[in-house]
Amino acid sequence: MAHPLISVKNLDLYFGAFHALKDVSVDFNAGELVGLVGDNGAGKTTLIRVLCGIHKPTKGEVWFDGTQVKEFHPKLAIDNGIETIQQSVGLCDNLSIARNFYLGREPVRKILGIPFLDFAKMRGESRKVIREFGLRDNVSADDEVERLSGGERQSVKIGRAVEFMNRVVIMDEPTNHLSVREREHVNELAVQLKEQGLLVIYITHDIFQVHKLADRIVIMENGEKVEDARTTDMTADELEEVIRQGGRKVEKRGAA
Amino acid sequence: MKHLVKGQGFGAVIGVALMLAVFSLIDFSGWWTAQTMSNVIHYTSILGILAMGQALVIMTKEIDLSVGSVYGLAGIAFIMLQPALGVPGAIIAALIIAAAIGLLQGFGVVKGGLPSMIVTLGGLFTVRGIIYVWTGGSVKAFPEEARNAVVTRLFGGEILGLEAAVFWMLAIGAVLNLMLWATRFGNHLLATGGSAESADSRGVLTGRVKITAFVLCSVLAGFAGILTLADQPQTHVTIGDLMELEAISAAVIGGCLLSGGRGSLTGAVLGAFIVTSFRYELIALGAPSSWFITFVGVVLIVAVIFNQKLARMAGHSV
Amino acid sequence: MVAAAASDTAAQRRAAKRSPLSVAGFKKTVSRHAEIGIFLIAALLILVFSATSDGRWANAYNIGTILQVTATLGLMSVGVALVIGTGEIDISVGSTFGMGALTYLSLVQQIDPPLAALASVAVGAAIGAFNGLLVTRTGTPSLIITLGSLMIFRGIAIALTDGFSFSVPYKMRSGAMYTAFGGDSIGMFNTGVFWLVAALIVLTAMLKLMPYGNRLLAVGGSAASAHSRGVRVDRVKLQAFILCGALAALGGTLEAGKLGFADGSMGRLMELQAIASCVLGGCLLAGGRISLIGAVMGAFVLSSIQSYLVVMGVRPQWFMLLLGLIVVFAALGDRKLRAWALKR
Repeated sequence: MAHPLISVKNLDLYFGAFHALKDVSVDFNAGELVGLVGDNGAGKTTLIRVLCGIHKPTKGEVWFDGTQVKEFHPKLAIDNGIETIQQSVGLCDNLSIARNFYLGREPVRKILGIPFLDFAKMRGESRKVIREFGLRDNVSADDEVERLSGGERQSVKIGRAVEFMNRVVIMDEPTNHLSVREREHVNELAVQLKEQGLLVIYITHDIFQVHKLADRIVIMENGEKVEDARTTDMTADELEEVIRQGGRKVEKRGAA
Repeated sequence: MKHLVKGQGFGAVIGVALMLAVFSLIDFSGWWTAQTMSNVIHYTSILGILAMGQALVIMTKEIDLSVGSVYGLAGIAFIMLQPALGVPGAIIAALIIAAAIGLLQGFGVVKGGLPSMIVTLGGLFTVRGIIYVWTGGSVKAFPEEARNAVVTRLFGGEILGLEAAVFWMLAIGAVLNLMLWATRFGNHLLATGGSAESADSRGVLTGRVKITAFVLCSVLAGFAGILTLADQPQTHVTIGDLMELEAISAAVIGGCLLSGGRGSLTGAVLGAFIVTSFRYELIALGAPSSWFITFVGVVLIVAVIFNQKLARMAGHSV
Repeated sequence: MVAAAASDTAAQRRAAKRSPLSVAGFKKTVSRHAEIGIFLIAALLILVFSATSDGRWANAYNIGTILQVTATLGLMSVGVALVIGTGEIDISVGSTFGMGALTYLSLVQQIDPPLAALASVAVGAAIGAFNGLLVTRTGTPSLIITLGSLMIFRGIAIALTDGFSFSVPYKMRSGAMYTAFGGDSIGMFNTGVFWLVAALIVLTAMLKLMPYGNRLLAVGGSAASAHSRGVRVDRVKLQAFILCGALAALGGTLEAGKLGFADGSMGRLMELQAIASCVLGGCLLAGGRISLIGAVMGAFVLSSIQSYLVVMGVRPQWFMLLLGLIVVFAALGDRKLRAWALKR
């Protein structure tokens, strides 16, 4: 492979006086499932928010598929095929499932040159996801998201990410609020996406869960990258120890 | 100095300094005359009282659009009820009416779960309507003997060569500042505006705090109306029209953030001073009176953007 | 439009199948269509007013007048509803209305009415752009920004009319072109009514059937979620403000065309009536849920009440008092109705 799909070089990000990301450098390759692990506030979510265009880095470079990213906006990230499943945002309560599904890239059918929403397609696709993910029977594509439970919302978001032809799927704590059955389903999907040649970045604080799935684990702590290891090189227990030590043990090992 | 810069009223201090400098420079018609200054200070006191009440409400993350109408109604109630109740009785009755309006609006916001903008917008209309219906469109002049009553002089006369309103404003300002920064209620009020959920979780009765703020705001507006009419016996049903805009402008110029939890009562009075000064400077310059509202609008927009930048520089997330 | 209607009836059929009780079906309708409340109120008022006014209210001339007022207020309300849909507010529309009226009157004597109307709408759009840019670029609350521009443009309007008269001579108040902008009636309908209907249809189609509408509601529902899906939140808001300004100015144009003259106080307090119409019509101030037809019905109800008071000889002062109470109780009623409908 000539170059990594996403390459982050010496990234710094400040929120006012708060130093959220400190000199982070990391590469992600296509066809890889990377687990991004760390405690709460470690900077994992901030890092992926840069990748999906929500935050603009203060310093440093982001390269996507061999070209440097100059402008940061979710629209550009989505157009580039970077789909993100975020914890708190992504669905508007006041809109129906069908309307949420295609939000930002609504399919249209031109009538007299005027772009009208293609409701048939919007409903069809979202109905498919509703069935696939086993939402309650009485949920229809026209129901507002307000009516859905936490797990159902998550399912819609994941279904949406899977549905579009993407190159990167970023999952931020995708199994929160999910039942055991739904969780298995999500993890299977993550592996399937990877096998199709996509880059999957899987964010969690549960190292044991992601170690089973991932090819590589990146650990963050306090805004810094403290470990980057293949799952074949380090066991989940060893990695957990790194997290528990807050990265200090790694530095010692690196020095020795 | 650092404390001053971090304070919410700092923008208003800069504004006042800037404005005085500019007015002195372009002053060809005597802005610094005793007559103009006396008018400015008198009207600043009245608007300042309204603005402080508004500031308290804004600090709880609500807004009160009805103050102009409440100001008018209390003033008119004072005049209308005076024959029956005497001067002190009329003042108390007018303040009770104002408090009742504040209480109703507070209940609408808290118990009804409605946006304060809607409730007080309704209040603005309703109270103005009450004025029209009650007076039938014209208000009697305040009788001569009532004007000369001791109590009236206490509110509308002059003390030591200064308008009584100035002393009232200073006294009210001192009490409110003490209440806001040195009492438990003040702490609760700021907490309610900063984060109602967190305040709730710590056992603050946020609903009661908000209702109290609305009552205080209406009572202060009513009091300002009484101060105005005790001094100037002739009035019209449109009294206080658009005063809500001036009061909100003054509070915002004085550093109150609509995101709640931050503000300054002293800043609100300074804001009132800026708004009032503009009015008299424009009169002194001979500009048509309509330019006054245009200027207040410009100052309001500039001030809100400037204060927001200042707050962000101080590291607040707004 | 057809597809949406078809699915709605399908949903209602499903709802009816699930529960034989019609209450459940009604609940579903209410939860989806916020404007139900205002239609009920309007129907009730029409019945009461017709029954109690001895024909003075319900006659062609009076209804025509009510509809003319509804047209100008309704255009403004629809614009405000769009801005409310994005979670912002525009209270400068009363002044924009006045500026639109003055622009139209000052130009209509020199150039063709359509061009004058276009200029007026452009002025309104410019005021909307001014508001929208300030709100989105500086991140300041729209309430304060538009409060500021309310005062700025009211002051300018009064200053403009100070010493100049804005009126069209009687002999010029004719011709198809002048008539088209509120100048006269076709049958019992002032031409303004047709503008309202056209605007309502176009904007409703835009809101319900086009991507822009989807994004507008998404921004109001959750700006963060919309942003994360690649919606340019600031651009959507700016466009809503521009539309709102243009519609308010169009309203002002139609009113000016009807009256043939205007003064600096034209449109004063109409911003409050427009917001009241929106609330009556079931628009949620928090954003994301609006009904344009509801806002128009709100405007209709307000102008009906006003007219009823006039024909019944009630002192017009009562209108203001009632307006205030109506606003609060409409908001309260809307909230209760919605809460009831969402209860499973």
